[in-house]
Amino acid sequence: MRRIDGAIAFRGGGFAPRARAWAAAGTLIGLVALWQALEMAQLVPTLFLPAPLAIGRTLWALTVSGELWKHLSASLLRLAVGWTVGTVFGIAVGLAVGLWSALRSPVMAVVAALFPIPKIALVPLFIIWFGIGEGSKIATIGFGVFFPTVIATAGGVDGVPRGLIRMGQGFGLPTWKIVRSIVLPGALPAILTGFRVTSSIAIVLLVAAEMIGAERGIGAFILAAGNLYDMDALLAGIVVLSVLGLAVAWAIGVAERVLLRWR
Amino acid sequence: MRRQPALSRRLLLGSALLAPRLARAAEPVRFGLLHTLSPAPFYLAQERGYFRDEGLDVAFRFFQAAQPIAAAAVAGDIDLGVTALTGGFFNLAEKGVLKVIGGGLHEERGYEGSAILVSNKAFEAGLTSVDKLPGHSFAITQYGSSFHYMLGRIAQAKGFDLSSVSLRPVQQISNMLAAVTSGQVDATIAIASQARPAAAAGQAHIIGWAGDLVPYQITALFAATRFLTDSPEQVRRFCQAYKRGVADYRAAFLRRDPQGRPVVDALTLAAVADISRYVFTGDPQAEAKILAGVGYYDENAALDVADVLDQLRWFRAEGLVKGDADPRSMLDTRFLPTR
Amino acid sequence: MSAAQGPPLSSGMSGGQGLRLTLRGIGHAYRGLQVLQDIDLTVAPGEVLALVGPSGCGKSTLLGIMGGLIAPAAGVVEAHGAVADDCLNPITYVFQDFALLPWRSVRDNVALPLEPHLPRAARRARVDEVLALTGLDAFAEAWPRELSGGMRQRVGIARALAVRPACLLMDEPLSALDAQTRTLLLEEFAGLIARAGTTTVYVTHTLSEAVRIGHEVAVMSRRPGRVRALLRIDRPIEGRRATDPDLLAMEARIWAMIRDDAATAERERVDAAD
Repeated sequence: MRRIDGAIAFRGGGFAPRARAWAAAGTLIGLVALWQALEMAQLVPTLFLPAPLAIGRTLWALTVSGELWKHLSASLLRLAVGWTVGTVFGIAVGLAVGLWSALRSPVMAVVAALFPIPKIALVPLFIIWFGIGEGSKIATIGFGVFFPTVIATAGGVDGVPRGLIRMGQGFGLPTWKIVRSIVLPGALPAILTGFRVTSSIAIVLLVAAEMIGAERGIGAFILAAGNLYDMDALLAGIVVLSVLGLAVAWAIGVAERVLLRWR
Repeated sequence: MRRQPALSRRLLLGSALLAPRLARAAEPVRFGLLHTLSPAPFYLAQERGYFRDEGLDVAFRFFQAAQPIAAAAVAGDIDLGVTALTGGFFNLAEKGVLKVIGGGLHEERGYEGSAILVSNKAFEAGLTSVDKLPGHSFAITQYGSSFHYMLGRIAQAKGFDLSSVSLRPVQQISNMLAAVTSGQVDATIAIASQARPAAAAGQAHIIGWAGDLVPYQITALFAATRFLTDSPEQVRRFCQAYKRGVADYRAAFLRRDPQGRPVVDALTLAAVADISRYVFTGDPQAEAKILAGVGYYDENAALDVADVLDQLRWFRAEGLVKGDADPRSMLDTRFLPTR
Repeated sequence: MSAAQGPPLSSGMSGGQGLRLTLRGIGHAYRGLQVLQDIDLTVAPGEVLALVGPSGCGKSTLLGIMGGLIAPAAGVVEAHGAVADDCLNPITYVFQDFALLPWRSVRDNVALPLEPHLPRAARRARVDEVLALTGLDAFAEAWPRELSGGMRQRVGIARALAVRPACLLMDEPLSALDAQTRTLLLEEFAGLIARAGTTTVYVTHTLSEAVRIGHEVAVMSRRPGRVRALLRIDRPIEGRRATDPDLLAMEARIWAMIRDDAATAERERVDAAD
């Protein structure tokens, strides 16, 4: 037999990691500083990886000359139109799939068959269908956005508690009202999560979309820089895409906080 | 059947030279090139054992596009290569890791290499000569490509501003041709073996030849600086074999009869047989395609130094090549003649 | 303060003028199991029928059939009677799990069933009225997640009353709540039902609730559910006390009827889960 004497030691806690914004920013800044230091100590040849300062100088030159905005504005327009087209059709089809048995299996079969196709492989087809101008570029982005949106929306609709829909029916609400006031808001969190995915996909596909026949655009700029082995410009373009991705993710975060403040 | 003489000759050569070659082990050389007709003299040198005669075991590394050939040399995957002189090539040469050592394909007056190809729509709307290009769209593979350069030189020659032509980068040569034949772009540049059939089929119109408008050094033999420093003797022997390949090539394809027509005889057919082991293999029309597509190589694979320096100047002026290295330092003319 | 005081809510019509619900030969099967069989029942206008029975006897299914949310395999439910002009949904549900939209404030949840029918100002007036009636005025702008279970079910009943129903179908409205809240809310709901004057079916598995709130208690058997007994409680609902010996005796009588069924049903459920 043994005796126990004394205070009971705390043994809970942990298993609850918290986000620390300063640690995230600090890590990124630290990595860039380390990179610059390695270049300055000439441990990495600039042919293989240009120094952050060189990339910064290139970015600055591009900004001052207006070149950056020329490319960025063209890309933003394509992203906005392509993403919106893909999203609007995706939500409409996703809703239909989530609501009607007649559409569910046929449409989901088509979506499952087409979703995994790399949209880059379809670019030549889009050029034949939509021409070498803006049409094929918007179609590339729109198609890439469409399928994940259908899946996210249909999943969101499936996730709306059936009890809430029965409630709407129990109050004699018309179908459109149930869709508008119960199904859509109920699916909104899943749709917004889908936005995080589709906005990234849209940015990834921007480079593919601007492969063919684009005079301007960040993707076209990156491709041209890569082709010329202009590493400073290549990485400057990649930094712009990365910042664009961060900005979009931040905007979606804000939208989530505002639209889902009830959570 | 036509292959017979070449084969038997190769066997003969092989047996005659077998004994001395066994004395020293062949030294390996890795050579990068496009899998097209344009490096045909290298195919001849390989097929006819000229590299082996020099004690070299040359391994061909084929690439789908010109730009990665230079990058592969920088990365150490190949020792030597033949590629188009592009903005990307010069940007790497600026860093001192590559040097041009000899000539390759040359756009030459009277030799139809690259055609200016115009869509039916644009042709009917009046784009019937090269000086009318301003205001039209023009497909190129990428900024800084040889097509961009050719158009730039045509603009200089015809006295119009390059920025008045709307450039459409479409990444691949096949896309350039498709963009024009489908009428999505007004004009492009296409090599003879593609341009002629398209024009003959009524899918497009040829309004001029780059060689007549702007003769220039389109491809060149280059080496990694590291290889030039470490193995100059191997480079020298490689160039000797290459010169023999060029001599055979010129004899086979570049002779003209008094009327100025290409001479096609047994030499030509023997070369066609050897080349068709690399391109158009098994294609019943290989002979016609090869004869339609061969371009001009200078005697002894001479390098057009003045033109290469002109090219660099143009790329720098367009902002496509950055750097201020001495242009001469990008060349090494110890191994092959200059013109 | 009792919610039963004050003027009657307009569409409930006392004196036998409300809706009469008549169930004829209702039967229902689900996945090959006969859930309900040969049910005939009548709920008189303005009266409360409490529906009790062992777990799984099909009480909630029967309520769903009455509300038109479940199609019966056999039989028909009829409603007869006059309904006031301002009634927007004659037969209205109150849900066990409240069924509130989490993304709408209390006010907007209550307003939901009015939205297809009334302009904004009229909607607001009605919502304010039922929020005051259910003691929710101070919580009008709160999100559902900020409310206790009892408050959430107050929102549920406020939403039901907002449409001025002629008939209320209440599906175990207190079962998700703790015992003390149940007692408090039962009083309050009894008062609200009386004041609304609706014909009401109140499903519960708590016998004390049934004898406290019903004019009649329908006792169902275990699956397949049938009406085993229909008991009338001749005592005004207003003023019934939980400690009333007659009501306790009634409760004991009902328990005696369903005790064996409840025990069997419990075992069956375990079997079904295997």
